[in-house]
Amino acid sequence: MAQQVVVDSALLDRISALEQQVADQKPGESHFMVVGLTTFGFVYNKTKFTPPGGPSQTTKTNSFPDADSYELSPMFLWRHGTKLLVEFEPSYTGGSLGVNWADVSYFAAPGLTIKVGYFVVPFGIYNKRLAAGWIDKVAPDPMGIDQPGTDYGVEVSGGLPLGNMKWSYDVSLTNGLQLLPDGELQNVGIVDNNLNKMVSGRLGLLPFSNSSLEVGVSGLYGGVADAGSSYNNANASMYGADLSYVKSFNPFLLNVKGQISWLTVNRQNYINPVDNSSYTFNNKTTSAFAQFSIRPTGANNAFIKNLELAFRYVNYTTPSNSLWGQKYSEEDLGLDYWLTWRTVLKFTYAWSHSPSTAFVAAGGTPGLTDQNIVYLQFSIQL
Amino acid sequence: MKIARLKKSSWILIGGLAILSAVVMNSCVESKQVAAKGGAQLWAENCQRCHNTPSPNSFSHDQWITVGMHMQTRAQLTDKEREKIVAFLTQ
Repeated sequence: MAQQVVVDSALLDRISALEQQVADQKPGESHFMVVGLTTFGFVYNKTKFTPPGGPSQTTKTNSFPDADSYELSPMFLWRHGTKLLVEFEPSYTGGSLGVNWADVSYFAAPGLTIKVGYFVVPFGIYNKRLAAGWIDKVAPDPMGIDQPGTDYGVEVSGGLPLGNMKWSYDVSLTNGLQLLPDGELQNVGIVDNNLNKMVSGRLGLLPFSNSSLEVGVSGLYGGVADAGSSYNNANASMYGADLSYVKSFNPFLLNVKGQISWLTVNRQNYINPVDNSSYTFNNKTTSAFAQFSIRPTGANNAFIKNLELAFRYVNYTTPSNSLWGQKYSEEDLGLDYWLTWRTVLKFTYAWSHSPSTAFVAAGGTPGLTDQNIVYLQFSIQL
Repeated sequence: MKIARLKKSSWILIGGLAILSAVVMNSCVESKQVAAKGGAQLWAENCQRCHNTPSPNSFSHDQWITVGMHMQTRAQLTDKEREKIVAFLTQ
């Protein structure tokens, strides 16, 4: 009888230990994880500047820590159940430490997510979906597409079915942009510059049941002048359209992306930094890119199927007679090799042409700038 | 007084848009063809809209649930798409 008691006690101890092990491994409702990305590489840049009537000057650089070729951005994801998600991504790039986004999303209902904090403002498809180095098909970002960037505010978004189609919406209310003395716009940051808020949004439609095609339209509007400034009800409006088409044509996978945006700041008088006189210009900016890439995903050869050929055209036209007026165009030709689905080695050759349209009397630089740039870039999602 | 009127009209506009949005969202349904799609097909169709299709082995069960929520906010996946894709990736 005494021996029986000893056996039972050992069994109970073992059961207790197993119960503790199970309790330790129970996942719980919360989950925390770290992902992110890193990108590094090498850039060779040859710039030829030709002033009006003068001899051209050529400068050459080669660099590892270029902004387009170095980034380390760990992303912290913290889920509370299946309704709340915290996203935080600090980033070291271009020699400085910053934050790409820091926000909380609440999955309120099917097709309705509410986000608050510091997030990528919904406009177009590039900034929110394609900018990561391990996603982007060529090394540099398209010039001018970064507007309106990241901001503090609240956002509602969702994707919903529509028969065989699908549509999505993404609308935000944020602090907005700030008009600088020379007429340029910049992100205002956490300390707002006025009482106005900026409304921005995008509507997307995927007309085919296989989701291969997506078209989107975007809009933005907000007051941009500093409170108490001499600007006359300064406001910015921006409209845009985007397109994405991804489809397999065996053995190739074709990927087409494009985006265009038109930014307008209503007529204002600016101060000439040279003589403090007043001057004005038509403050309109156009940014656009179109790209396609093709990858032989159905090839039998393992090396060939991991290659991808990409081309991008960029156009960035800033206001004539402003201090930063230019008609910038760029072509990028890239050859990528995919080491894994989220690891890529990119070779990109970019050439750009940029005649100045700046207002010389206010200190703008006239002339023509041509660049030839070679990128060798490695990027991985961590 | 003018400001007060503007505020009232703004609230009416916001309320009207909210009601309209709720009605539109509530009437959005998928076709039988779309409803019949499995997670593997949705994974193949939707992930490659932005990036290469991920390997299911890349993350654990819990991680895929978290990543699915993150991707839904990025790509505006529908709730059913997210559920099916995550279910496929966690098999």
